[in-house]
Amino acid sequence: MKVPWKWLNEYVDLDWTVEETCERLTLLGVKVENLTLEKLDLSGVVSALVEDVSPHPSRPHLKVGTLNTGSRRYTVVSGAPGLVEGNIVLLAAPSSRIPGGTTIETRTFAGVESQGMVVCANEILAGEEPRSGEDIIILPPGTPLGLSAQDILDLDDWVMELDLTVNYSHCLSIMGVAIEASALSGKPLKLPDVFRKWDWAGPLGSRRPPDDPDEAGEWKVELPDPDLCPRYVGKVVRGVRPGYAPVEVERRLMLAGMRPISAIVDVTNYVMLETGQPLHAFDLDKLEGKVISARRARRGEVIETLDGEERQLEEGMLVIADALGPVAVAGVMGGARTEVSMETKNILLESAFFAPIPTRKTYRKLRLRTEASARFEKTVDPTAQPVAIERAAELIARYTGGIPEVGRTDANVMEPVRKSISFSTRVVRRTLGAPISAGKCREIFEDLHFAPGPVRKEGDFETMEVTVPPRRVDIEEEIDLCEEIARFYGYHRFEPKPLTPATPGGPPNKEYVWFDRMKDFLVAMGGREVVTTSLLAPDDLLAMGWDASDTRSTGVPLMDPLSSSESILRTSLLPGLLKVVSRNQSVRMPGGFFWETGRVFFPSTEELPLEALQLGLVMYGALKEGSWVEGESEATFFRLKGVTETLLRLMGCDASFLPGASMPFHPGISARVVAGHSTVGELGELHPLVKKNLNLTGKCALAWFSVEAILAMAREKRFSPISKFMPVERDIAVVVQAGVPAGAVVKIVKETARDLHSVTVFDVYDKPPIPEGKKSIALRLTYSPTDRTLTEEDLSLDRERIVKALRDGVGGEIRL
Amino acid sequence: MDDMGERVLREIEEAKTLAGLDQLRLKYLGKKGEITALLKTVGSLPKEERPGFGAKVNALREVIETRLREKTASLEREALEEKVRQEVVDVTLPGNLPQVGSLHPLTKALREIVGIFYGMGFTVYESREAETDEMNFVKLNLEPGHPARDAQDTLYLTDTTLLRTHTSPGQIRGMLEMQGRLPVRFIVPGRVYRRDPMDASHSPVFHQVEGLVIDRHITFEHLKGCFLEFARGFFGPDTEIRLRPSYFPFTEPSAEIDVSCTICRGKGCQVCGRTGWLELSGAGMAHPRVIRNGGYDPDEVTGFAFGFGLDRAAMLKWGIDDLRVLFENDLRFLTQFEGL
Repeated sequence: MKVPWKWLNEYVDLDWTVEETCERLTLLGVKVENLTLEKLDLSGVVSALVEDVSPHPSRPHLKVGTLNTGSRRYTVVSGAPGLVEGNIVLLAAPSSRIPGGTTIETRTFAGVESQGMVVCANEILAGEEPRSGEDIIILPPGTPLGLSAQDILDLDDWVMELDLTVNYSHCLSIMGVAIEASALSGKPLKLPDVFRKWDWAGPLGSRRPPDDPDEAGEWKVELPDPDLCPRYVGKVVRGVRPGYAPVEVERRLMLAGMRPISAIVDVTNYVMLETGQPLHAFDLDKLEGKVISARRARRGEVIETLDGEERQLEEGMLVIADALGPVAVAGVMGGARTEVSMETKNILLESAFFAPIPTRKTYRKLRLRTEASARFEKTVDPTAQPVAIERAAELIARYTGGIPEVGRTDANVMEPVRKSISFSTRVVRRTLGAPISAGKCREIFEDLHFAPGPVRKEGDFETMEVTVPPRRVDIEEEIDLCEEIARFYGYHRFEPKPLTPATPGGPPNKEYVWFDRMKDFLVAMGGREVVTTSLLAPDDLLAMGWDASDTRSTGVPLMDPLSSSESILRTSLLPGLLKVVSRNQSVRMPGGFFWETGRVFFPSTEELPLEALQLGLVMYGALKEGSWVEGESEATFFRLKGVTETLLRLMGCDASFLPGASMPFHPGISARVVAGHSTVGELGELHPLVKKNLNLTGKCALAWFSVEAILAMAREKRFSPISKFMPVERDIAVVVQAGVPAGAVVKIVKETARDLHSVTVFDVYDKPPIPEGKKSIALRLTYSPTDRTLTEEDLSLDRERIVKALRDGVGGEIRL
Repeated sequence: MDDMGERVLREIEEAKTLAGLDQLRLKYLGKKGEITALLKTVGSLPKEERPGFGAKVNALREVIETRLREKTASLEREALEEKVRQEVVDVTLPGNLPQVGSLHPLTKALREIVGIFYGMGFTVYESREAETDEMNFVKLNLEPGHPARDAQDTLYLTDTTLLRTHTSPGQIRGMLEMQGRLPVRFIVPGRVYRRDPMDASHSPVFHQVEGLVIDRHITFEHLKGCFLEFARGFFGPDTEIRLRPSYFPFTEPSAEIDVSCTICRGKGCQVCGRTGWLELSGAGMAHPRVIRNGGYDPDEVTGFAFGFGLDRAAMLKWGIDDLRVLFENDLRFLTQFEGL
């Protein structure tokens, strides 16, 4: 919504500067997003008297005029009908300028030199040629000569562009904004007579004035679908002269963001901007029959709208129809068949109430959002239809000489509702805190043209009944009135007050703490947290190599996605993480270690998809480039395993790594991480096929874990006493079949040895002298008894037990 | 014997190496050494000369031993000093650098935010991302056909389910989980979705932080106080806030909260459009119907709620001018957030 400053000031005399007004309106919730000074470049265009007119010597449609600016005489050639002796016109003399960057020059018309030109509205407003039938601007008699056009027409103005929230439909009109400004400033509202007569701003809405004639209009209106259109007002104006609205009206429309068309159309737009009530004008002589019907469209009906588009109407859309069919898409746009034109002599004005939601549905389906539909969809004042049509008729009569019929057709099935809300200062005290008195509240309501009833004392508080004007469709209950009090009291006047200390007040979140610890560990390990989108393409899942039986192969689809690349919800973090690798490889980063935590989604038999929180990790290339002091560290299975097994250990999770994970992992260089009986994650190098599909190069290892599973296992630490006795180390090397996992060997040692603190694998060797098909696993055992010093005898006894257990368990032979 | 003593001490003094000293030790004090040999001659002397001679030789032997010890220590120190002189590294060569990781700026920002709200007695409640239309809209006073639904272009999963367009359904779920206990004081950080194509300031996937307080005697003034404390904690102690009336169907009265521009500190610059203010958060007093939908009695308790974009807060904090870089995960971006 654009509000020209001078137009606003026509309804309320503000003594604030325009900047101050913007600031105050913004703090009132009527947000001024932009303030611009709109200036027309008309330097050198001045008023001049036509002193003499003679025909052009050779061109019958041209005239040669002598114009006097008071200081100089100019000869000007023009065909304009207004170039008549005695008229005061606007002369753009040579070297003067008009909008569009045009500088006027001397031109010769069939041998006669024209020193500049006389201008029309279209030239000085838009810098364009005269429109069909457009005459030059004729200034009122007595206008001083040689005065600049800028000073005479006063067309420069500030425009405040409002960014309104959806509940501020009462500010979709200049008069609506004026009420806010008037209430805030205390300056009285000055509305044109017709609005005062009808009490447009009043608490009960517009009402017929006592002298309103009882005559019914000559047109009949039918309302067969009152749920879509419960009120339709029509009024005929006869004998209109075609033409354009005065230059100041056209300028105002342009400042407000609308294009001037013709006097009649401009008036309908002008009154819409003024009141918020959209209007439409039909060429009366192009309407068939004598009945207008506001009805649902019928199957197969088509209409050509004013923009020249042929539109297929759907059943259920509201149309305005005559005997031949639809003449307008109600509340959205008029039809071409009954469009007013320069030939129009008689018109039918329409001022209706169209239901908001159906209007919105219609314009959306037709993809045709207009100024009118933007107002109907937010609910217009249900009482303002007659006064708006009277205002329009009055202006059309003024600008076109047309004669409005007496009275009007007013088809109305709406019950008049007096909106009365009971209001107590209790709500102010409870919700706002500040002690705002009942008297101050009354004052605010009155300034807004609400009608507060008498104040009654009720306990500690005071109550009153407040009648709210129907144009304030946003106000429905007491809390809404409370907001009006807060707005006009001033949000800035409330004191900030700290929350008093109290016990934490939310659902418990122990897990969130562990979640953060997990993240800290990954940072300490050199991992870089990334954030990727949850929306993927089906192809992203396909590239992972999951077969149809894998729950991850099909993501929950979006109904109406922005694009196919964002059409399903991720079932895993891995596709997103691999895109991060791809991105960084494409910008020539030699390697990286990334991780992400986030939700993944699976279809479910419940109404909502299943959500699971996952941790994903990926490493590629050289994690650390080689330096003079150390070789490079590569993204291998074991590097990533080291990070993840340490993470699990530190979280207190007891999990084991079993060989072989599903896609997209390399089957031989991957593991399932199992805790209890369930898989809590997978880890491995990327399958070469997937790597190829994604055009990745070099080493790449990745993993995923169920965060919920890990957090469920997380345990706080317990202290265990430090042994007073020295730890003892013993090495043992065992030769086993190549296929025996080291984990099995370690497990046997752990289960057999006594007083063992830890066991680590420090070497694996399968070259001669180790026989073909076998491997040697070297273990370091650290004993830490808590109650005595271990003797050589204790140690050799333990060694014998271990040797036997390894022989029995995995057929191992001891090497040393 | 005096001559001999002088000679021995001179030889010790002149020794250059530890090995040379060892040889001298052997030569004089060893089993076949000269001093040892002298001591052996004591027995062959006349009885009355024996004690005098013996004492003299022993004294000489002690002097030699002391000198040998001193000289050894001095040569050892010299050798060590020489060794240390040889050991020089080029300290301008880089150290053996550890791998440094980093949190994503969104997590960094969120941690600060969570820390500030912890201090005010809030907890963190994480709600779900896929929601019902009922929870995302209807329970928040956004009936079907409500024009405010348009402002949030929604990504629907089915006719009745969707990806949450704001963290506000967390208000309802969190309240329901509290089962009527007071005070209610939690924040809901999380991912939200809109049908907006990606550009410098929009993304179909972004993040919000919602806050809700419900208790007896909670007023608009508390909303102001609470948000001011947050804004100063997050953007700096000289930050100011400004509340403007606004509209959200689930709050009444509603406010838009601006913070003084983090770049120009309120003087007016490009970033704040010369207003000195940056729009940060929507907020307001919890609407009575929303309080009721959360299982509380609006006649007994009041409350406030707020919600703001985590991405926007992070961008303002670090001067990031394009939303897209947050989701591209380019190492050259991520490495900038290394550190403490």
